Amino acid sequence: MKRILCLVLVAVMSIACVAGAAAEESSPITIQFWNSFTGADGDLLVELVDRFNAENKWGITIEMDISSGFTEQLSSALAANEGPALVLFSTAFRFQYADYLKDVSDIFEKTGLNRDDFIPSYLDYCSEGDALYLVPFQIVGYYMMWNKDLFTEAGLDPETPPQNWDEWLQYAQALTNEDKNVYGSGISYNYAYQIAHIIQRFGGLAVTSEDGAWKANFAGNEGYAEFLNMYKEMIDAGYNPIDADTDPTFTAGQLGMTVTGPWTTGALDSNGINYGIALVPEGMAGPMNSVEVIGFAITNVVSEEEQLAAYRFIEWWNTEDAEGNSPALTWSLENGFPSYAFSVQEKDAYKSNEKLVVTSSADPSLPSDFIVDSSFAGTNEILNDVILPLMSSITFEDISVEDALANAQATADEIVARYN
Amino acid sequence: MQWYKRAYQYWNRPGRCAYLFLAPSLILLFLFNILPLVMAFVLSLFDANLTLSQMTFVRLGNFAEAFADSRFLGSLRVTAVLTVVELPVQVFGAMIVAALVSRNTRRNKLLRSVYFLPVICSATAIGVMWKMILHSNIGLITYLLRTMGLGKINFLNTPGLTIYVVAFISIWRSFGISVIIYVTAIQQIDTAMYEAAELDGAGRIRQFVSITVPSIRPTFWYILLTRFAGSLQIFDIIYTTTNGGPNFTTESTVSYIYSRAFTSGARMGYACAMSVLLFAIIMLATLVLYRKMNKEDA
Repeated sequence: MKRILCLVLVAVMSIACVAGAAAEESSPITIQFWNSFTGADGDLLVELVDRFNAENKWGITIEMDISSGFTEQLSSALAANEGPALVLFSTAFRFQYADYLKDVSDIFEKTGLNRDDFIPSYLDYCSEGDALYLVPFQIVGYYMMWNKDLFTEAGLDPETPPQNWDEWLQYAQALTNEDKNVYGSGISYNYAYQIAHIIQRFGGLAVTSEDGAWKANFAGNEGYAEFLNMYKEMIDAGYNPIDADTDPTFTAGQLGMTVTGPWTTGALDSNGINYGIALVPEGMAGPMNSVEVIGFAITNVVSEEEQLAAYRFIEWWNTEDAEGNSPALTWSLENGFPSYAFSVQEKDAYKSNEKLVVTSSADPSLPSDFIVDSSFAGTNEILNDVILPLMSSITFEDISVEDALANAQATADEIVARYN
Repeated sequence: MQWYKRAYQYWNRPGRCAYLFLAPSLILLFLFNILPLVMAFVLSLFDANLTLSQMTFVRLGNFAEAFADSRFLGSLRVTAVLTVVELPVQVFGAMIVAALVSRNTRRNKLLRSVYFLPVICSATAIGVMWKMILHSNIGLITYLLRTMGLGKINFLNTPGLTIYVVAFISIWRSFGISVIIYVTAIQQIDTAMYEAAELDGAGRIRQFVSITVPSIRPTFWYILLTRFAGSLQIFDIIYTTTNGGPNFTTESTVSYIYSRAFTSGARMGYACAMSVLLFAIIMLATLVLYRKMNKEDA
């Protein structure tokens, strides 16, 4: 009798525990999610977040705030020890908010997320030692795009884009048609990301680590000098427009080739432009897969419950439904960004998408650092205070490439010194 | 007597309840104007990052750095040029246009609406619109000029020219508000004065110079002061059209301050120091103008 009573008690207690846990799991919680996805991709993000709010079994409500003033908003909030649980931003910003980000490496223990499903180089990008500060959300790479109709008009094979930068220059000359206001090459003087993705293929990273200290690599960089000479030649010859942003000209069908991101493809498709997409040609610096990783980060102003709720949202984002679809897959298919997850890249829908096949074709084991060593905190300063002035001086001033690089080195040295 | 009755009796006097009515505005003014201003002064003495998690007291180091910073000095020059170009158009041009459209005819009402239309548009929409219209390759105006045989004019990427294009867009955007304020002032002028002048044989121009201009002097000073301060703080149009380019020739002081604080380096202390310097310049210039205005009134 005692034994039966014991068994009944154990059963009752077990049920109570499970019920309690279930009750805890389903106790409603609302978390804030801030980001700056103000474009068309923001609409999809709203749709997916709404879906999560409607279907998640934990009673989690995500209140999302998409704002073009995201940086100002976030910094003000964090300075007051307030702010959202979840944010989305580039790895370039992780140093800026380093004091306010949680190490989220335990997400693989607390959720069903599988660390091995994430492409290691992208996870490394989001890590500092063993600590993980961002969970990849979107891989932003730049790609060569070309207008096939303009190639045909110029007598070039529309299916064969330039394989190297010498060919780029030759093709730019062939494609340029002053009478029709068509330019062959579209490299902007003021589009930091585009320039950086190109210039590093010529001369490698602008800031690297040497003997435990950061070192800027502008002066005497033969690769950078070669790129700048090529750019200047194209500007002087009229093969490349002097423009702060070359995307509008390309989407209007007036540009033969450019280097840009997948977001341009929407406008190209709607404008009926017959275009091709391929990896950016290699330069002197050899093969690379330079990317910027956008990721989910969790701020340290949140409670453990809020952190768990954010983890569950990230888990949901990467979880397949019965049909094998996941928000991560939808995001890649709709926006054309390559996925950071092996499982997504293996899906039939993914593999049959021409754009994704190309954007995912870079070897992810290649160096993925973007313009500076991924552990260097001054990416934005190098982009805005060194590379843009360098390009502007080449474009608008009567200055030699060597002198321009020497000036860039001086500015970069000052920046680097602040981080050494 | 209960406490709320005592409180009611205390505040229910004209001299005291006025403070209650003022309180909401004063609280907002303190929270959103005075407090940030004081904080900016304090922060300007620190080397502080964006989230203020790392702060080092540097005394006047940020100010010394600003005076040696060629981009900051360049941005002051750009701001001065934009102000010099914009101010006369906003103050005198708008006055002339206002005089021409001040009568309440159907045509004038339509014209006033047209002038006012850009005022209600967002700066982002205006910036994007002009950026596309003036685009060096696919812009409508660029295309029309090219078909007229005037060659390729690169409005937004030519150092020396682009700053005037930015000034034009800025004027176009806020010209309507100056016109409307002037129109309101002109409509308050006693029409008997114009009738008397007409009987005395004064022409339109004479009436404008001798009646309209003196009668709207307070409005003139108001427009001058507000547009002057506004021109020195130009930011949104630059941010959405040129972002300071080409080669920083349109980078205004506020644009540069923004870039230091939020885009590059996240140096909040340095950005605050430059803000304080800009504040001092605006304050000084406004005080000079204000004293001149008071002198004239006296």
